[in-house]
Amino acid sequence: MSEEAVKSETPYVLRCFVNGKEESIHTTPAARLLTIVRDELSLTGTKRSCEIGRCGACMVLIDGNAVNSCLTMAYQCSEKQITTIEGLAVQGMDPIQQAFLEEGGFQCGYCTPGMIISVKALLDENPDPTDDEISEALSGNICRCTGYGGIWRAVKRAAEGRRQTT
Amino acid sequence: MLLNRASSGGRWRVRPDGPGKVTGGLAYLTDMTTDQMLYGLVLRSEHPHARILSIHTDKAKKLPGVRAILTYMDIPGLNAFGIAHPDQPVLCEERARYVGDALATVAADTLAAAQQALELIEVDYEVLEVVDDPERALLPGAPQLHPGGNELHRTVFSRGNVDQGFRDCAYIVEETYYTPRQMHTYMETEGGLFVPGEDGRLTVYSPTQHGFMDRMQLSRILAKPQEEIRIVSSPIGGSFGGKDELNVQPYGALLAMQTGRPIKIHNSRWESVRAGLKRHPMKITMKTGIDAAGKLMAHQVSIISDTGPYSTLGAEVLNFATEHVIGPYQYEHLDVKGVSVFTNNGMSGEFRGFGGNQAIFALEGQMDRLAEMAGMDPWVFRKLNMRQSDDLGPFDQPIAMTDGAKQVWEAIAKCPLWMEKQQLARMSHSGDEPWIKTGIGAAFTMHGAGLGVGIPDPAGGRLALAADGKIEAVFGYEEFGQGLLASLEQMLMEQFGFGAKDIRMIIGDTDVVPDSGSTTASRATAMMWKSLQKLKAPFSGQLLQRAAAILNRRVEQLRLAEGGIKGRSEEALLLSYKELAAAAGEPIRCETSFSFPTSSTERVGAHYMYTYSAVVVKVEVNTLTGRARVLQQYHVVAAGPVINPQGYLGQIEGGSSMALGFTLLEESIMEKGHYITRNLDSYLVPTIEDQRGLVEVEAIEQLPEGDDYGPRGIGEVGSVTLAPAIAAAIRQASGKWATKLPVEPSFLQETPFFLGKG
Amino acid sequence: MGMNIQEAMASPLVWHPQTAAEAWQLKQTYGTEGIYTSGGTLLRTQWESGISAIPRHLIDLSTIRGLNDLRIGEAGLVVGGQTSLQSCRSNTLLSRHFPMVSEAIRTIAAPSVRHLATIGGNVASSIGDSIAALLGYDAEVIWFDGTTENRTLLSEWLPEASAAKRGNERLLLSMLLPFEISLEETSVKHDDKDLTMQMKRFGAYHKIGRREAFTPSVVTACMNGVLTHNSVIKQIRIALGGGQTVPVRLEKLEKEINGAAVDGHLLRHVYERIIELFEPREDLFASAAYRKSTAANLIVAELWKAAKGETKPL
Repeated sequence: MSEEAVKSETPYVLRCFVNGKEESIHTTPAARLLTIVRDELSLTGTKRSCEIGRCGACMVLIDGNAVNSCLTMAYQCSEKQITTIEGLAVQGMDPIQQAFLEEGGFQCGYCTPGMIISVKALLDENPDPTDDEISEALSGNICRCTGYGGIWRAVKRAAEGRRQTT
Repeated sequence: MLLNRASSGGRWRVRPDGPGKVTGGLAYLTDMTTDQMLYGLVLRSEHPHARILSIHTDKAKKLPGVRAILTYMDIPGLNAFGIAHPDQPVLCEERARYVGDALATVAADTLAAAQQALELIEVDYEVLEVVDDPERALLPGAPQLHPGGNELHRTVFSRGNVDQGFRDCAYIVEETYYTPRQMHTYMETEGGLFVPGEDGRLTVYSPTQHGFMDRMQLSRILAKPQEEIRIVSSPIGGSFGGKDELNVQPYGALLAMQTGRPIKIHNSRWESVRAGLKRHPMKITMKTGIDAAGKLMAHQVSIISDTGPYSTLGAEVLNFATEHVIGPYQYEHLDVKGVSVFTNNGMSGEFRGFGGNQAIFALEGQMDRLAEMAGMDPWVFRKLNMRQSDDLGPFDQPIAMTDGAKQVWEAIAKCPLWMEKQQLARMSHSGDEPWIKTGIGAAFTMHGAGLGVGIPDPAGGRLALAADGKIEAVFGYEEFGQGLLASLEQMLMEQFGFGAKDIRMIIGDTDVVPDSGSTTASRATAMMWKSLQKLKAPFSGQLLQRAAAILNRRVEQLRLAEGGIKGRSEEALLLSYKELAAAAGEPIRCETSFSFPTSSTERVGAHYMYTYSAVVVKVEVNTLTGRARVLQQYHVVAAGPVINPQGYLGQIEGGSSMALGFTLLEESIMEKGHYITRNLDSYLVPTIEDQRGLVEVEAIEQLPEGDDYGPRGIGEVGSVTLAPAIAAAIRQASGKWATKLPVEPSFLQETPFFLGKG
Repeated sequence: MGMNIQEAMASPLVWHPQTAAEAWQLKQTYGTEGIYTSGGTLLRTQWESGISAIPRHLIDLSTIRGLNDLRIGEAGLVVGGQTSLQSCRSNTLLSRHFPMVSEAIRTIAAPSVRHLATIGGNVASSIGDSIAALLGYDAEVIWFDGTTENRTLLSEWLPEASAAKRGNERLLLSMLLPFEISLEETSVKHDDKDLTMQMKRFGAYHKIGRREAFTPSVVTACMNGVLTHNSVIKQIRIALGGGQTVPVRLEKLEKEINGAAVDGHLLRHVYERIIELFEPREDLFASAAYRKSTAANLIVAELWKAAKGETKPL
């Protein structure tokens, strides 16, 4: 079909990998990943809050990059590796999660899965980030409870932990 | 003690609700779903003020998948709610008074069908004149929003004769302060699951700060006995006062009872903005005078509070503001007046700080201006006029005496950040970017806890040894992130000797918990502490007596420990709690109920217990853009013993971040009764980049000998002093006094000095 | 209930053209029922807030071949319109040669949004915050008119593209950033005594928003120029935008000050002319007057700084 545009079929089957598992999800091509993750896959650790990409509560990893699932449409996920907060703790808790626990990097906890996803994307790409880099990476994650004090401490602790183990 | 992980040692603990939160495993009430569930939506008024001529639902009802459409005619009980005074219609009958007013509610098989049904409901409105200014609302001829007029509440407090007082003054400052309509912006919007049982009971899974209050209010609306309603209300994805009042619960409950099916409602952000509470915008005018020696002679205050269309806690917030515009200072003559006014703007209501934020911004602004006028150091000026520990409270009422004011004052006076203020050269034109100017400011408060005189303020809880050997702690409080469970666990461990694994905490379920009162007004930790103090002797005694009988030892030889009973000075476990529970005998169970301590005064709303706190803040103003940035904060809080250091630190850090937003960023903008800021793209709260500065918290724990009230509240004090401190720092940096929040960049902007005058 | 109301109501067909011509054809076929989309972040925001309805057809431009990377072309750096903003942000060619574009992109949304959003989408919106920086480098755009690819200066393309909803008739393909001529080539060979002929390039990009990060812009300001050793302006570009204002180059002012020495008189002139010439759109968050004075302050402060730095050794 080189000379003709390909149309996403409707009904549409999204094939992708979610937390390492291959999925075929019956949906529509423009359905939001947030809906798919929460309603179709019952992975409710990904939270619904502003729904316009301004708060980060719905953050997931797509091929390792932090992305707002409320802005991502099904067709944009085709054949992609999607990781939700539920996929982070594979063999026990991720050290980032442990750092948030130990430093008190959360209160109500509603922003926390998205926040941790963004930290994961940051540290995987840049294990020793500067304050500027931490701030830039987390600027799309709103936390209303902590004032970010515990989050700063948790990210630094997680980064420190990585430096010591590598 | 500077609060941090290092200084806290082993008392810095991982929260019991932490693992579920960091793994996403914890299901919030808005995450819940169930079989046979229907989706609920609410139709809200298109107009901020309108007469409702008719509502036709016929077309909507014919839509496939629609299971119920309810209007005011379908409410079995009272068509109204409101914690203090139920005057907000559940579903409006003949008049809508704001854009969040509900007209109909729909349940359908799918969200799409529910939404289509809303669009098919036909409402005929007669648009009425919008009352969007509280001052104009009080003028003769303004449209009246309620049978009693547009005044919700008035307050008056006076002493002496201010006119006389002002005649004796050497300096007088007159100023008017304006504060914004701040939004709570809890990350989890309102919602929940409403499940009717086969037994006719209704279970409500929906966040609230006081399950029993919701149960009572829903009982009135549904005309259903309270015992037939169960409220499950924790965990909560943030509240800050915003979920204390009913929000979606009436609609979920009505639809569930009507359809016999579970109903799921989860507000979109816009729905939350439109219908939800905000902080009361206030205009506070003050005239304050001092004599030549700097002593406060007269203080005259007028508060106008925009309470929006219905009461909720508007009167109580005004009472609080009235008390806190007087605050921790001593005046010869006082004259304070306040009025809370109904308008067609958004709903105002309970919000962390409860009217203190607005009052303290104005009051502390006066203190800084007066000090400057008198040529005095602002902190020395405060000391000169500050209450002594045995002085009466702001309303001349008896209060629990502490040295908090003095302790906090001294800690600030000697903190390095405050001392740096003297060294900052004002308006220096040096460096690469001379348009950036820095200043330091500080502010002080005494902040009341509890609901105050005249409002039922029950407290209490229960301890029991469960059949499986767990120590059950059962309280009617809610966990909305503040760390209530962590504090409770830590108290049980430290005061009784239990291990974390021995404990099962049960909260937020009206079928199980006693009514411990509302989780609000910085009261829950203090009330849990007091409950445990009262329960300690009887509960420990019963456990030890039972153990003594089993072990054949004397009670005095035994102690409670991690895992079970140990000998006084032995480390070996003699008897596990499980074994103790298995032994025959009456169930071991102790309950207490009492009231939050109140002052012996008739003055409604007057407080008895206070937290003293202050903050020093360093601010940078870029005069090219007029934007201000907070560089550093040093908080001092005198609130008695630190129950949970991580939680305490988090409350002050988090509260101050909200205050930073209140001062520099946040405002729900309304135009003629309509919200302009509908989501987080236009309503901006602080990001991590806005919070890069160091925040330190010094906790003063000492209480007077014999004080048995224990820890004071710390949930709100972090959010009340930062605004005036930032204003004072801006004054030092730029020479300007900010009177309106959030501070407008255009107000602080200057033409670069190198362009010269003109 | 992760589903939002808009998506419950509509599920558009999504087309994945592989060439600009296919995309164009689809747009011709569906007219107003079809919308071009790249990352879709702006569209999704508009749908959620009800500003615009979900269309029947989405024409996904991300599958058009050859538009999602940066490469060095004959005339400069070609930035494919379908390159994500985050790829641009982390691209070393861009940050080395066009640092103000990198800086502008750093201030757009947050990395998570930038992974979806594209530079083409940012420019095609005609109010994106990268535009002022692109104007500062005299960028051109390559666009498709249904038959051929065209090259136009961005500063000329913007008023056309943003006018009267005709935007979709011009399919934006790529941005072209001409490499700046290095100063060695322009300045006369000098020996150590002939300091007056030494030149310095200076430039700055500022975005002023309503908070410190992830903020809608109130003002974007970019300046790029060359100063001689005695502070004579040899080349200057000034671009201003922000909020709903389509960014502009202040070419009149540029001409007026080119060749002049930076002194108090010139700075005052620049300030006053920016207030006169810049016509920002105001809203309830910031007045036009504040936007003008902010833009003027930022530009004169950067000029002052550049001249001050230059004269220091003398």
